[in-house]
Amino acid sequence: KMAAAAAGSLRRAGWRLWRGRAGVRCQLSPPQRPLQASAVLRRVSDEQKKEPLASSSQQQFDSHPTDHQPEQEPQGPRPSYTGQGGQESEDYESEEQLQHRILTAALEFVPEHGWTAEAIAEGAKTLGLSVAAAGMFHSDGSELILHFVSQCNTKLSELLEQEQKLVQLGEAEKKPTDQFLRDAVEARLRMLIPYIEKWPQALSILLLPHNIPSSLNLLTSMIDDIWHYAGDQSTDFNWYTRRAVLTGIYNTTELVMMQDSSPDFEETWRFLENRVADAMNIGNTANQVQSTGEAVVQGLMGAAVTVSSAETSRAVR
Amino acid sequence: AFAGEVSLRLCSTRVALEGINKPVIDRIIRVDHAGEYGANRIYAGQMAVLGRSSVGPIIQQMWNQEKDHLKKFNELMVAYRVRPTVLLPFWNVAGFVLGAGSALLGKKGAMACTVAVEESISDHYNSQIRTLMEEDPDKYKELLQVIKQFRDDEREHHDIGLEHDAEAAPAYSVLKTAIQLGCKAAIFLSERI
Repeated sequence: KMAAAAAGSLRRAGWRLWRGRAGVRCQLSPPQRPLQASAVLRRVSDEQKKEPLASSSQQQFDSHPTDHQPEQEPQGPRPSYTGQGGQESEDYESEEQLQHRILTAALEFVPEHGWTAEAIAEGAKTLGLSVAAAGMFHSDGSELILHFVSQCNTKLSELLEQEQKLVQLGEAEKKPTDQFLRDAVEARLRMLIPYIEKWPQALSILLLPHNIPSSLNLLTSMIDDIWHYAGDQSTDFNWYTRRAVLTGIYNTTELVMMQDSSPDFEETWRFLENRVADAMNIGNTANQVQSTGEAVVQGLMGAAVTVSSAETSRAVR
Repeated sequence: AFAGEVSLRLCSTRVALEGINKPVIDRIIRVDHAGEYGANRIYAGQMAVLGRSSVGPIIQQMWNQEKDHLKKFNELMVAYRVRPTVLLPFWNVAGFVLGAGSALLGKKGAMACTVAVEESISDHYNSQIRTLMEEDPDKYKELLQVIKQFRDDEREHHDIGLEHDAEAAPAYSVLKTAIQLGCKAAIFLSERI
């Protein structure tokens, strides 16, 4: 964090020298971003606070800038700016963390504006940033959707972890696999309910070529998480089969949910139950097929041995 | 950036996944698991042909050790949440065919195959030990112990193979080179796929 702060302050000092005036705080944009300034504009009063500090470009901000407001006494070794509702200044936060904060704030506005730059702009406003902060992101809302999916996955993992702890402590019963899978998928899909109107739009954006690696990655790690907590310990090809099957169940249930208008999505959960039951049956059927196959092979081997020993005894005679 | 957001958390089987170099450990465990699985199948193939011959008991003994190795890697795979290689069904067949094929060349052929494979595997384990030592010998102490032990076992198998006239096998050097090339390819693929 110190290194980030130092880098940040040096960067700002550099930008300041380069741009010649203290109007705009620019962040270094990663190469794949479009040719935007990627400026995070703060309110003018903030700028005035930042200026004297950045020009000193010290790692430890021990000197008090002259126009510091009274409530900003340093706490501990570093001064903390309490200008915006008690939030720590951006000096001590990386760009990525800021982006996460903006996207999280933007989620509130998705039901109204969809997965768009408008929602991000509104989110940025609630954090006290300029609406131009939305310029940090792609215009199609990809990052917002991926951020949301990632957040949901994290919540699901935490939920499953907690459940597992309860089982380990003996405070809860261990669920049978089919029920565990049903509950996990239902819990995860329920997180979509507040955004369900705009979710079809999100799904189509997630399928765009430039998003596929990320969305696929998020999907596979979520499915892997669910199987892990379900107690899957397979180390053979079953590892793949199980995950493929569950991915299919999850995706189809998600699509059914988009079309479902029943109260509290009962139709969806019933669909889910049936799909999981089917999957369990496939497992059983596969085993049955295998044992039948083995029995057939043994029968043939037995027949072969009988025939060959009959031949041998006939040849001997 | 979003790939990195999915954070690793302490898993139920009590291995702390935080702080380890997951990509490196993933590869190591995946390829070692594939290797032990393949070795199992090779010995199974050899036993299918030479099970009732004079070298049967020795091959059985080496096979039993490989079974233990595989069991250990199955445990490590679950503990570190590593995915197995997709090519397992392929190694299943290829290993058996190699074992049975080399055994059909005779006892010395089977021993030559053992020497070639075990040499490949112990070289491979050695380079993994080097990698882990370079990373952090303390963090990976348990894994290092396991790999060192297994490397010693494989070396022993290699020596047993030599003791049983592997070098007198038909076209020994050609056989050995071909098998080791195959092993290199298998290692390369299993690390990645």
